[in-house]
Amino acid sequence: MTADRPEMSYEQAREELVEVVRKLEAGGTTLEESLALWERGEELAATCQQWLDGARKRLAEAQAAHTEKKPD
Amino acid sequence: MALETSPDAPAAVRTIANGIASWINQLGAVWVEGQLTDVSIGRGTTTVFGTLRDTDADISLRFTCNRRVFEAVDPPVTDGSRVLVNAKPNFFARRGTLALAVSEIRHVGIGELLARIERLKQLLAAEGLFAAYRKKPLPFLPHTIGLVCGRDSAAERDVLENAKRRWPAVAFRVEYASVQGPAAAGEVMTALRRLDADEAVEVIVIARGGGSLEDLLPFSDEGLIRAVSKARTPVVSAIGHEPDSPLLDLVADLRASTPTDAAKRIVPDVREELDGVRLLRERGLRAITGWLDRETHALAAIRSRPSLAAPTTDLQRRSDEIAALLDRSRRTLTHRLDRAGDDLAHRLASVRALSPKATLERGYSVLQLADGTAVREVGQVSPGDVLNARVSDGRFDVEVQQDGK
Repeated sequence: MTADRPEMSYEQAREELVEVVRKLEAGGTTLEESLALWERGEELAATCQQWLDGARKRLAEAQAAHTEKKPD
Repeated sequence: MALETSPDAPAAVRTIANGIASWINQLGAVWVEGQLTDVSIGRGTTTVFGTLRDTDADISLRFTCNRRVFEAVDPPVTDGSRVLVNAKPNFFARRGTLALAVSEIRHVGIGELLARIERLKQLLAAEGLFAAYRKKPLPFLPHTIGLVCGRDSAAERDVLENAKRRWPAVAFRVEYASVQGPAAAGEVMTALRRLDADEAVEVIVIARGGGSLEDLLPFSDEGLIRAVSKARTPVVSAIGHEPDSPLLDLVADLRASTPTDAAKRIVPDVREELDGVRLLRERGLRAITGWLDRETHALAAIRSRPSLAAPTTDLQRRSDEIAALLDRSRRTLTHRLDRAGDDLAHRLASVRALSPKATLERGYSVLQLADGTAVREVGQVSPGDVLNARVSDGRFDVEVQQDGK
């Protein structure tokens, strides 16, 4: 997962995250599996967060650029 | 009747004048169509003077007409009227001037004019000059607008003011031309050509206020219509009021009903456009921030789910389970061990109780046959048998010497 643009698309990450949480909550998984699931969940959440933060940053930058260019 | 003259025998002016007069006066009367201009009726005289101009070419002839004939025309003819006259060319020897002596005047009827325009329209339409595919699109934001109109005319003011109000930075290049009378068509064409040649001019408006059918005739002039259709720059026709529709309207790339309407159609209202753009930008921004907020909340919700937020609880639950299991197993184990311990102790005790060890220690020993059975009676043995003796601290073999009784 590169720093600025995560490999996975936001939608993919989000979808898998929901699935991971569902499995964890359903239980019935071995310790090893639930640990792995939990780690995966954290990773996916981080990816989603990265996408959202990136979007907010780009938005803010675009707006800043807009206000700069505004003719006085 | 060639007149022989030479430098030595020149003719007198009057001879020439009279010659011309007699020749011209032989010409018969003719029906002529033209446009009356600078008509003057001197007070107290019975003659009307004026000029009859060709409707297309820039040629005219003076005319004289008996006042009674002139005023008999109904509706009265005035300056600019298109007329049919029956006239005989007259040469006034004394002043050396030529004029048409008009004996009858008729209006070129409105019906006639309309019919003529209609015929021209069919002709030009057949040639495809009015075809839709020839219409050039107008630029959204023209660099410079060319305007053909009368000098200081209302049309000029309407176009300029309305355009400026909508887009203050609009640039105009105005070419004045007479917008009425026989010279109009020609002047408008010249102005059109000049503007069309100017690269900066991206749209040309030909504007004129309201007027009678005759006033608007130049804007159905064939020459002008052909020039407009050949123009490289898009042309907007803004002639007269809403109902007026000279042929120019059909050939132009855009027909505006009035000069004001033309201004509105060629220049966007920049304020409106800016508002529109700002609105779109705001909506875009609201949409994206809305989406972002929604997704952020959703993510936060997912992350706060216990299975993610507090995995330790799950692990805790599991370790509690383990602990509980461990505890139970321990308890059962110790319990069993205890019981086993007790059981062992009993067994040991009973073993010990039954066990010959103490007896052996008191000096007794146990004799076993080869097959392990203990010797209880003498009868079991016979001399020479090898027996195994067990004493407290071990075993050894013994042999039977003699049987005892």
